[in-house]
Amino acid sequence: MIVITGLGAITALGATVGETWERLLRGERGFEAVSLFGAHDYRVRLVAQVHGLPREGGDGFSRTSELGLRAGREALADARFAEPASRPRRFGLVMAGSTAGMLETESTLAVILRHEGTLDPAIREEALGRMLSHPLSAPTDRVARALGPFTRVRSLSSACSSGANALLVGATWLELGLVDAVLCGAADALCRVTLSGFNALGALDPEGARPFDRRRRGLTLGEGAGFVVLERAEDARAREKDAICTLLGWSARAEAHHITNPEPTGDAPARAMRAALARAGLTPADIDYVNAHGTGTPLNDPMESKALARVFGEDLARVPVSSQKGQIGHTLASAGAIEAAITAFAIAKGIVPPTGGLEEPDPECPLHHVLTATERPVRAALSSSFGFGGMDTVLVFGRSDAQAPPVPARRAVVVTGVAAITPAGLVEGAAVADLPGCATAGDAIAFDFEASLARDRARRLDRASRLAALACERALGGGGGVVPENARAAGVVLGNAFGSVDGTSAYMRRLRDKGARLASPADFPGLVPSSPAGHVSIYLGLKGPTLVVADLAVSGECAVTQGYELVAAGEVDRVAVVAVEEKSAIVDAVFRVVFGPDEPGRRALRREGAGAVALAAADVARADGLPVLAQVAQVLAWADDEAVLQELAPPPADGHAVVVLGAEAHQLLLERSGWANVRCISCAEQVGSHEAAGGIAVAVAAATLASDPSLEVALAIGAARGRGYAILLRRAAP
Amino acid sequence: MQRADLKREIKALLVSELNLAGRDPAAIADDAPLFGDGGLGLDSLDALQIAMLVEEKFGVRVPEGDEARPIFVSVSSLAEFVGRERDAKAGSTPLG
Repeated sequence: MIVITGLGAITALGATVGETWERLLRGERGFEAVSLFGAHDYRVRLVAQVHGLPREGGDGFSRTSELGLRAGREALADARFAEPASRPRRFGLVMAGSTAGMLETESTLAVILRHEGTLDPAIREEALGRMLSHPLSAPTDRVARALGPFTRVRSLSSACSSGANALLVGATWLELGLVDAVLCGAADALCRVTLSGFNALGALDPEGARPFDRRRRGLTLGEGAGFVVLERAEDARAREKDAICTLLGWSARAEAHHITNPEPTGDAPARAMRAALARAGLTPADIDYVNAHGTGTPLNDPMESKALARVFGEDLARVPVSSQKGQIGHTLASAGAIEAAITAFAIAKGIVPPTGGLEEPDPECPLHHVLTATERPVRAALSSSFGFGGMDTVLVFGRSDAQAPPVPARRAVVVTGVAAITPAGLVEGAAVADLPGCATAGDAIAFDFEASLARDRARRLDRASRLAALACERALGGGGGVVPENARAAGVVLGNAFGSVDGTSAYMRRLRDKGARLASPADFPGLVPSSPAGHVSIYLGLKGPTLVVADLAVSGECAVTQGYELVAAGEVDRVAVVAVEEKSAIVDAVFRVVFGPDEPGRRALRREGAGAVALAAADVARADGLPVLAQVAQVLAWADDEAVLQELAPPPADGHAVVVLGAEAHQLLLERSGWANVRCISCAEQVGSHEAAGGIAVAVAAATLASDPSLEVALAIGAARGRGYAILLRRAAP
Repeated sequence: MQRADLKREIKALLVSELNLAGRDPAAIADDAPLFGDGGLGLDSLDALQIAMLVEEKFGVRVPEGDEARPIFVSVSSLAEFVGRERDAKAGSTPLG
């Protein structure tokens, strides 16, 4: 059984989880006009911002990472894990976010855009160098360095359910036996992009968010961070650490409906609630408190009420429901993690926190509202988080003496399809094996892949989302924008290192030139790093867990690893994994500053492309008669701990093996893996050294096994800056 | 600007700015419903985008909420609104 032994949070209402909790119970609201940046022409300036944040690391780090550092440190201390020596050896970090270094990127882009063409090259270079705080993985790297060592690290995003998904991923790591304790959480700082974007969407309440209130007009943006420490109950007992509560169940499902609007019947949230309750071994009658997503937008609150009614039925009148977004604002990616900490307190202290800001309950939200903090025993509680693009996650918590739910058996996983899009074209199935041998065809994808898309449904997809959607469609055995019916419950895991940098630049240019009133509501959702995964889910109608992972140069390998974990742990039967990168003038410029100018023969050009790998539980593939290209024999991930590589199975003595690398040959890594003497295929020459190349390498490995009957195993391996992944595939049993 | 020109301009704007790729602006009927089935199949996010574009291109502010509904029925109703607001603005400009 998984227990929570440490909590940390920083919000507009407090620098610690305890301070935030006390002020929440008093019904305080932390709203004020934004002072973090100039916003004179924004329609709604009301936000919930954090004050007195120390800048520990100086200018090289983002506000998001500093928020995360604060809450992460608090959670570790609370768990009595402040000293690395006090921790188990296998100690993980899962950190989610959505804005990452956006606030700092905005300042950088302002410098670059202000004097286009005339800017002093030294100033331009310095500004571009600061873009290193931009990627989704940058705050995680910062927290990992400052609070580590961690033997396993993951950065993920699923918009406003990110924080809840960080706990979900941490829980699966414990269940799969990959770590012995894990720090899970999320951080998000306010920035111009989100405040102007939500303004453009008309989604902000000028009076401050009033969840479930008849007069509600929208949300209030907040910022902050939340972290929890998860470990196994027996480990906590062994070190005589009291648990705060248990994490009993979790589930993520997708709406596959719309990039900004919730699906009005609440079908996906209801499916996630039922699956999370089933995982916890509980029924709605066992739940004594619901910590709602409750944003205060006109559409969310009635939808959420419907979803709760579907699951709880008559019992709904009994169960107190509250949301804290009318007090600490909607902290976006952090919300699920902060609310997990609040829900843990509600159980541990037997107090149900109120819905601050709610005065006149909306008849369309017929729930048991909590208008003031109420003492009441809470045996178990459910916390919901719903993200942009329809990514919904539900967590179920119980008292520390709860009965342990049954743990599902680890499932065998197979590869059922692959596809890749490179400058050379679109290839799928066994033909992907020929990719490394193809002639290179320039840096950019110039062929008309758009012709293969269902145009009407693809109109909102940006370039990266289009490439990813097409690659996933083919890997799942679909065509023309449609996947087979039995693939519809699949999840989507999308690896992407940088997000839409050029899209952000275009958005910021418009914000500067035209003002906040004319910020583009249609362009804003594309800047959210999880959007490509949401778009793939919507375009193909995929309704399983949907999220983005990022790990710079090894984002592709990371995505395959994440997809494998979800299937192996029983979160979903099938998942479409895709890694995608698009060419970006700004990323190219940053690379030239960081790595120096491109030199022929030194490193391949940064190209663009997508590699997709469809995974399925072996029993599901068998039952559905899916093609099986390869079995997944072993998946390893490590961070600053190559000792994990010693667990890697050795290559077969008879030489029927191949190693596939996304990047150029990495001799040191191959030697440490024990696979240095095996035939090695490098995809770099063909696909260029972009961050999605690892996804293509895994696709090539599976296709090579499927097309060369002399091979028994294929290893895809990649490592960069101390993070590594090894995905070992074995010939499918006939 | 004549209403016919305005309609033509709005149609071109819809196709280019809402990425209605492959659609011929001239083939959009003046009275075809913008939202829902049987018309352009647009949604509330498009409505926000159109309101922003109308403000940018024509200098006319589209009201928010329920007041906007009759304006967003079709290209005709949109052109009617834009034309009326512009005429009103022109009329209120002091001459000389």
